[in-house]
Amino acid sequence: MRSSNARPTRRFTGKSNYPARTAKATLLVLVGLSQLPSSIHAQEGVAGSVKRGGVIRYGHFQEPACLFGGWVQQWYLQRQYSDNLVARSEDGKIVPWLAESWTISDDKKIYTFEIKPNVKFTDGTSLDAQAIADNINGWLSNDPDLRNPTAAPYLSDSFESASAIAPLRLQVTLKVPFQPLLNVFAQSSQGILSPSALKRGLAVNCENPVGSGPFIVDKWRHGREVTFRRNPDYNSAPATAKHQGPAYVDGITWKFLPDQTVRYGSLITGETDAIYDIPAVAWKDANSRFPVLRHLTGGTPLRLALYTARPPFDDVLVRKAFAYSTDRRAAVDTSFLGSLPFEGNGALSQSSPEYLPELGHSYGYDVRKANQLLDQAGWTERNRNGVRVKNGNPLIVRISYSNAFLKPDGEQALQVIQQQAREAGFDVRLQPTNPADFFAGKNLGPDDYEVVLLYWVAPGAEIFRISWKPDQNGETNRFNPSRYQDLTLWDVIQKAEQELNGVQRTALYQQAERKIVDEAPVIGLTVLDVTLATKPNLKDVWLDRGSVGEPVFYDAHFDDGK
Amino acid sequence: MSMFAEVAISRLLREVLAILRHVPFRIAVCLIIVGVFVLAAMAPKVLQTHDPLAIDLTSALQSPSIAHWFGTDQLGRDLYSRVVEGAGQSLAIGLGATALSMSVAITIGGAAALSGGLLDSILSRIIDVLFAIPTLLLALVFVTVFGPSVLTEVVAVGIGTAPGYARMIRGQMLSIKGAGYVEAANVLGHPFPRIVWRHILPNAMNPLTAMMTIGVGQAIIWASGLAFLGLGVAPPAPEWGALLNAGRNYIIYAWWLEIIPGLAVTAFALSLTIIGRHLQDRLEGKR
Repeated sequence: MRSSNARPTRRFTGKSNYPARTAKATLLVLVGLSQLPSSIHAQEGVAGSVKRGGVIRYGHFQEPACLFGGWVQQWYLQRQYSDNLVARSEDGKIVPWLAESWTISDDKKIYTFEIKPNVKFTDGTSLDAQAIADNINGWLSNDPDLRNPTAAPYLSDSFESASAIAPLRLQVTLKVPFQPLLNVFAQSSQGILSPSALKRGLAVNCENPVGSGPFIVDKWRHGREVTFRRNPDYNSAPATAKHQGPAYVDGITWKFLPDQTVRYGSLITGETDAIYDIPAVAWKDANSRFPVLRHLTGGTPLRLALYTARPPFDDVLVRKAFAYSTDRRAAVDTSFLGSLPFEGNGALSQSSPEYLPELGHSYGYDVRKANQLLDQAGWTERNRNGVRVKNGNPLIVRISYSNAFLKPDGEQALQVIQQQAREAGFDVRLQPTNPADFFAGKNLGPDDYEVVLLYWVAPGAEIFRISWKPDQNGETNRFNPSRYQDLTLWDVIQKAEQELNGVQRTALYQQAERKIVDEAPVIGLTVLDVTLATKPNLKDVWLDRGSVGEPVFYDAHFDDGK
Repeated sequence: MSMFAEVAISRLLREVLAILRHVPFRIAVCLIIVGVFVLAAMAPKVLQTHDPLAIDLTSALQSPSIAHWFGTDQLGRDLYSRVVEGAGQSLAIGLGATALSMSVAITIGGAAALSGGLLDSILSRIIDVLFAIPTLLLALVFVTVFGPSVLTEVVAVGIGTAPGYARMIRGQMLSIKGAGYVEAANVLGHPFPRIVWRHILPNAMNPLTAMMTIGVGQAIIWASGLAFLGLGVAPPAPEWGALLNAGRNYIIYAWWLEIIPGLAVTAFALSLTIIGRHLQDRLEGKR
């Protein structure tokens, strides 16, 4: 998180002289709002001339099993029908959404939010402080119907309670300071859902979730599409939006078109108005024919997580040797045809505020060095196939991956890695796994892989908590496929999360970042980007750059006159 | 080798030679195509111009040329050499799956036809049930459960196509079982297993020879279909279906990656089918 994120709110909060400071804080937040690049008032003036109506036909890549949840593909959907407590602007500032203003106590343990009045969920339930408190408490509960797979790993160690201290005043209390709290609240997976609807159980809510957002989930035709219709009473747009009030279009037809050629072809032939994830091979063509939006997600890059709890990658020398043995930059450049950048920093994506650019070139292609490291690690013999052997065991590296996390072009990059690593004596075997099996844990067991290819999107370095929290009290951190558990690293991460000074917090996160790259439990490959190509007559679609690049159709409208 | 077998083989050879003397042009073309693919399968290095797995990032996505007859893929691998390499896997899957399919079919169909009564009814219903399940669905389930590999593809396609053959074999055997020469052998007191081995099985298999030829082509298509769906052998194996799967992402910009492996599958399967049908016509005509 950038230091500027917290500083303004911290300045106008405090336990002493609380009411006066609260008023001042509210004023400052509102002043800050008026300085946002997309001024609400200016946009409202434009709104009068905007053509209303029409349904956006949007071609998406992957279809999740539930319309909300921890996978970023679910966030994209949830962004359309739910609102968050706060939003994160493009420059990393936390700005109002359902919360009009907030104060933070000096010890950073109590957050008090003033909730926007007269907001209702689309089932008629009032969206007040109690509804939000119920959501937050549910996220951190053990109720499988309510537990939030994104919020829980972030907040479970620090969260104490959420309560409505007045109908429109929410108080969130922490046991220990957790600086990324507002960033977490700004992610679409933490969209607020109707407590009345949540009582129907997970199965029903997965199919038909109810939020307060600009669109209402109309119908989910599995394997085909989700249809959304406009929420005619919408009155709770975030400060990052370009207008207020209901959406301009009548709805969205969110089609699932997993084949990238078909998806791009649908835009060319006019069967869709916008598509997600432009294929690498069509990147140049798309940029010459259509308006293209792009966001490089923060959090982790798309990286190779090396299983460090057993040989061969329990030895840092072998991990580094594997990194040096492959020209990952060339693999990325060739496979993605220049549409995606190489990312050598395995710890953090380059769009994260705490990113250290000098780590982006880590472990450049150097077979000689790889061979030296392997010799040093005792892998000195080779079998007749040229594969290194130690104590009779060949140096086999199984890479598990799924197209849930890897675009088709990415598989080509893995094949480059497979061939190049052979020269240093690695026998790399690819284990493609279909998404359903992958999510069910196939090829992900402790003895099933040496490398797994994954990413985890987040605004910034708060992702370290997810990736590197050590197993505690017999509970395995299932988000740490490297099984790399370093208590000194964890200590630095926790200190960063609790550090009140933004500059020092960034420095601590960067200290952790250096250690992760140096120990190489993960090796960077490329970034996860969100790309959208739209028809020229579809205006004002935007990506939620403050979060993880969710497509936002709220401000979109058709303009056939231009 | 028994005298009966020697006679059968010499008779088969004579028939094959007789057929070859009157080979139509289209069949000759098909035989050449199949011959080339069989050579590619058995000795790929004879035909290959490059290492099929060698990545050359500087030669990515080159269209067909003298240097690369079928062009190159995104990683600069020579597509011609990969298609040649893939012939082995495709043919192995086709032959293996057909052999397995026939073995299962002969066992179930033969047992049903020869036993009659309750066992026939039970086995026939089992065949009916298996027949009702689409081959692709059965193969998909099989690959999903046991994981993708050449062996899994062979078993999946083999099991998936077996019910059709089993029903055919049952029908053939039932008709032969009632033929005059079989009844004569019965009356003469020949043991039943000997009658099956000498009379029923060879005569039932005669028309199935043609079906097996066609079946190899079909099995290759099934296997390619599975690989196309990402359920085939793991990369970088150049199985034809996997080549098709990899090439579809580039179909607009690098047509050769999709068209040429597609033509290979089509040419091989079509040639086998044409040869099979020709054999079928000849055998039926002779009968």
